[in-house]
Amino acid sequence: MVVALTAAGGTITLLIGTVLLRLTVTGTYRRYVRVGMGPWLAVAGCALVLLGVLTLVRVIRRDRPDAGPAHDHGAGGVAWLLLAPIAALLLVAPPTLGSFGIERGATVDVRAGPAVFEPLRGAGPFPMTLLEFGQRAFEHAGASFANATVSLTGFVAAPSAGGFELARYQIACCAADATPVVVRVTGVFGDVPPADQWVRVTGRSGSVDGDIPELVATSVMEIATPDDPYE
Amino acid sequence: MARAVADDAAAGGGRPGEREEHERPSPRARDVGLALVALVVVAAAAFRPLLEDLLDQPAIAHWATVFVAIVVQAMPFLVLGVTISAAVAAFVPDDLLARALPSRPVFAVPTAAAAGVALPGCECGSVPIAGRLVDRGMLPAAALAFLLSAPAINPIVLVATAVAFPGRPEVVAARFLASLLAAVVVGLVWARTGRDELLRITRRRKADEGSRLSVMIATAQHDLLNAGGFLIIGAATAATLQTVVPRSALDSLGGSSALAFVAMAGLAVIMAICSEADAFVAASFTAVPITARLVFMVVGPMVDVKLIALQAGTFGRSFAARFAPLTLLVAMASSALIGWWLL
Repeated sequence: MVVALTAAGGTITLLIGTVLLRLTVTGTYRRYVRVGMGPWLAVAGCALVLLGVLTLVRVIRRDRPDAGPAHDHGAGGVAWLLLAPIAALLLVAPPTLGSFGIERGATVDVRAGPAVFEPLRGAGPFPMTLLEFGQRAFEHAGASFANATVSLTGFVAAPSAGGFELARYQIACCAADATPVVVRVTGVFGDVPPADQWVRVTGRSGSVDGDIPELVATSVMEIATPDDPYE
Repeated sequence: MARAVADDAAAGGGRPGEREEHERPSPRARDVGLALVALVVVAAAAFRPLLEDLLDQPAIAHWATVFVAIVVQAMPFLVLGVTISAAVAAFVPDDLLARALPSRPVFAVPTAAAAGVALPGCECGSVPIAGRLVDRGMLPAAALAFLLSAPAINPIVLVATAVAFPGRPEVVAARFLASLLAAVVVGLVWARTGRDELLRITRRRKADEGSRLSVMIATAQHDLLNAGGFLIIGAATAATLQTVVPRSALDSLGGSSALAFVAMAGLAVIMAICSEADAFVAASFTAVPITARLVFMVVGPMVDVKLIALQAGTFGRSFAARFAPLTLLVAMASSALIGWWLL
């Protein structure tokens, strides 16, 4: 299917650029890539909008019989596939990665952490990443916590009676390389939040046998998905 | 010489009229194209509730997020690659590249592979650039060596690797050497036994008439849509495999190093992560031997489902069908050798 892709191609290019700019402006791009990519997405979006507009201008001008270069290389039908992510993103932006990937993916091995931690001073609660919590927990059996309370933010996976797994993904570049960090939360009274609900859990480090560190919760607060959902 | 003959054959009678068919779309065909774009957008809007219901399924939401993430993440690099490609088309004189490089493959291939150091970016950008270099008269084997080395040995990727493996500079050195070696070997093998006529790209005759801006716009538009379309195929494949094949299945392989080596090479092909990120993923496989993690970082930027789709789109399917297996084997052998030596 070699459809004339000049006018349509210009429109597709313009649409991709618009979608990229929209993702950047609304901050939705943080669901898919690292926060630091934002400026580059904006630059790419602007470049594509410019290219799309220039292409459309040329197409319109060339409708006059003798204007413009004669050779015009359409790209094959494959270019139409670009409409798929455009449609998806313009209408329904896919969510951040959730608990589906937790049981399936290899989790970050927090025991491999190279850091040496200063003991926490004071009662807390100290907010920290799940990774730091895990690394502290496995360093000298959690001595650096000095019995202080910490608060962790993540989403719920594998909820069961009295506890759940608190998880958050680390990404190096985009969601395709996401690797989850998991903390076992115990001591939850009352209703356990459903899977994929974002929560802020306050509590103290528990036992450290096995691969997964434990947080004995004193409070579990349901929160909205954070602006930057990955660590 | 053989190349020139092949060019003439392709331009003259090989595939008659292929380019001409594209040339001047009739106004009617143009309207059909625009109508189709509009139709897709309207249809997607109409089926929005259906799409939202679909995303309530965790597996489908996971697939959609990974798919969109790969596309979004690749876009800035693709735009960079397409811009460079368009600039080459508009500003590099016809035979400059052919003259600038040594004419014998033995020298041209390593030179081109080493030049990959200078292109900051990842693999999505280097495919259109390599396509343009062939189009501009570069020896195909040299352009292919550049295509393979650029995403793997540029400073950004090496720094990312150093950050992912703190205190282990030998991993960075091993990645650099194994990637360069693989690129040079593949280039030389292709120069000796490859069939350049499989490359769908033929040198343009007089396509460059018109102002430089026109040439740039036309080239950028063509490369973007073509590479972008194949990027979609590759991203969808990678997202599907990531959703269907659990990564934890690999963790049990830590015990056997030969099995882990092959499995990590396969994983690099399946996961199709950007070369700037793969070091972090490789570092996260702590249970896997270091040489197996090296092969993951060497194979990933050279052969993966996304790249195979991009290469098939740029150079043709029969080319990709030969080139990808050749590259995979050479990259694995090179990693095994360098890993055995350095790690």
